[in-house]
Amino acid sequence: MESTDSPQDQLKRVSQELLSNKIQLHQTTVFLQSILQNSNDLIFATDVDGVLVSFSKGGEKALGYTREELAGSFIRDLADDPLEFDKLTKASREKGSAVRLELPFRGKDGQTIHCDISLTDLTNTEGKTVGRVAICRDITHRKKLQEDLIQIDRLAEIGRIASGVAHEINNPLAIISEISGWAGAVVSDAKGLSEEDREELETAARRIGEQTDRCKAITLQLLSFARGSGPAIASFDIHSLIKKTVSFLEPHLKFKSIDIVLNFEDEALPIKSDPKMLEQVFVNLVSNAIYAVKEKGTDKGRIELKISRAGPNMEIMISDNGTGIPEGDQKKIFDLFYTTKPLGKGTGLGVPICRNIIKKLGGDISVESQEGTGTTFTVRIPV
Amino acid sequence: MTNDKDVKVLLIDDEETLLEYLSKRLLREGFTVKATFSGEEAIQVAGDENFDVAVVDLKMPGIDGVETQKRLKKIQPFLQCIVLTGHGSVESALESGQQDAFKYCLKPIDYEALVETIREAYEKRNELLNAKFREKVEDISSSGLGARGIKRAINELRKTYGID
Ligand SMILES: Nc1ncnc2c1ncn2[C@@H]1O[C@H](COP(=O)(O)OP(=O)(O)O)[C@@H](O)[C@H]1O
Ligand SMILES: [Mg+2]
Repeated sequence: MESTDSPQDQLKRVSQELLSNKIQLHQTTVFLQSILQNSNDLIFATDVDGVLVSFSKGGEKALGYTREELAGSFIRDLADDPLEFDKLTKASREKGSAVRLELPFRGKDGQTIHCDISLTDLTNTEGKTVGRVAICRDITHRKKLQEDLIQIDRLAEIGRIASGVAHEINNPLAIISEISGWAGAVVSDAKGLSEEDREELETAARRIGEQTDRCKAITLQLLSFARGSGPAIASFDIHSLIKKTVSFLEPHLKFKSIDIVLNFEDEALPIKSDPKMLEQVFVNLVSNAIYAVKEKGTDKGRIELKISRAGPNMEIMISDNGTGIPEGDQKKIFDLFYTTKPLGKGTGLGVPICRNIIKKLGGDISVESQEGTGTTFTVRIPV
Repeated sequence: MTNDKDVKVLLIDDEETLLEYLSKRLLREGFTVKATFSGEEAIQVAGDENFDVAVVDLKMPGIDGVETQKRLKKIQPFLQCIVLTGHGSVESALESGQQDAFKYCLKPIDYEALVETIREAYEKRNELLNAKFREKVEDISSSGLGARGIKRAINELRKTYGID
């Protein structure tokens, strides 16, 4: 006996199949949706031209865009280097899939998101490519860690170089210092010198000594920075320390009209801290201020140093009306090696050294700045 | 107040130019100064001549500062040694001989600070010397010698310790 389906039966069977396919499709869709919703990875689906069709919550989070914002845009445009992304697409088209490590994307705020990415072509039943899926793992964090390690390595290297150099330089500096002291003593007693010449020579010998001391302090400071040795606390007058620091820097002020305003009383203000370390902080901050004012090229340059008591702390403010620092860069100036100055003029060590020293002295340092108007550094240290 | 002329300083450093100028300055300051360029030379000189204070560089070829200082103290127990150390070697220097030296100073040392330290070291030496002298005097007075015997013994002592 031959079984024959009535048209009704056939219709029933087809509609049942359809239903079960629909259920399956629904389940698959839910499944995919939940992956897109919950994965921390950046998952993109594009059409064959690379236009974004959907992307995961993880993608929204990492890039900072919402789905709506990106609908209809090209995935390649999210890559830091779209041409690199095109190469990857080409490879995927040829082989069905392609993998790239460390391909950077650019987020909404301009931030870089480093990703390991794998791209797979989606084909229909006839084997024709209808789109592509990209799964990207955000490795920014790992990358940052790596960079920190490299930075620590560089720092250690600098430390080694610094201690080598400082060691070699300290001896000749000590000799210069002795000879200048000797010359000063001889000049004081020399016969046959006019009073005027004697004073000139005495001043010259003293200045050589002072500048040598400054070099000695810097080499030592560099060493202590590299080695992390502790401060040497002493009692001293912070007013005269600041005056001395400013006079160190006076040669830099020649031929430029920069007013240095010392906004404090003449009398001594005693403080217990490390004078050499503080001196280095002020030399750094005031040099930066001088540079910023010169850079701006104004003929009404002004740098102000202000000291006041703030509770248990001494507060020293160093303000300038120089170039200022763009808001986005104000954090970066505390990073080692961050400099906007041309090669040979900037090291990018000044501000981080200051912060390091101030931390050791139990204080803190902050910056306020407006691009084009000026900058104020505030140093707070316990008295 | 110390009279610098009385202070006999022994300088030991292999950096000859530095020592040349340092000794010139200290001489001019009024101290009595002898410069030597190695630990070996210093030890030899200390065999013939008495010093109050020695300024020793820690790092020298041959016997180093700590060892030099120890041997000098064997020859002249009251000698006060100021040891100059480079950055970073302070701790190791302290471990190897803190108790023997008057002071460890970080190089490069400031001239004024050095002069001050030499004067302090000299004071310390005199204090120790006087204390020792008094101790000996006590010993003599409690030894049951007669008045004349005591006086003679004390005069002997004065001579050995150079106190008048
Ligand atoms: N007073 C200031 N005004 C403007 N920019 C400043 C000032 N101080 C620091 N900066 C910025 O911070 C950067 C880092 O400073 P610093 O760490 O001292 O290194 P360097 O001076 O060698 O560049 C400078 O290159 C400059 O861009
Ligand atoms: Mg700087």
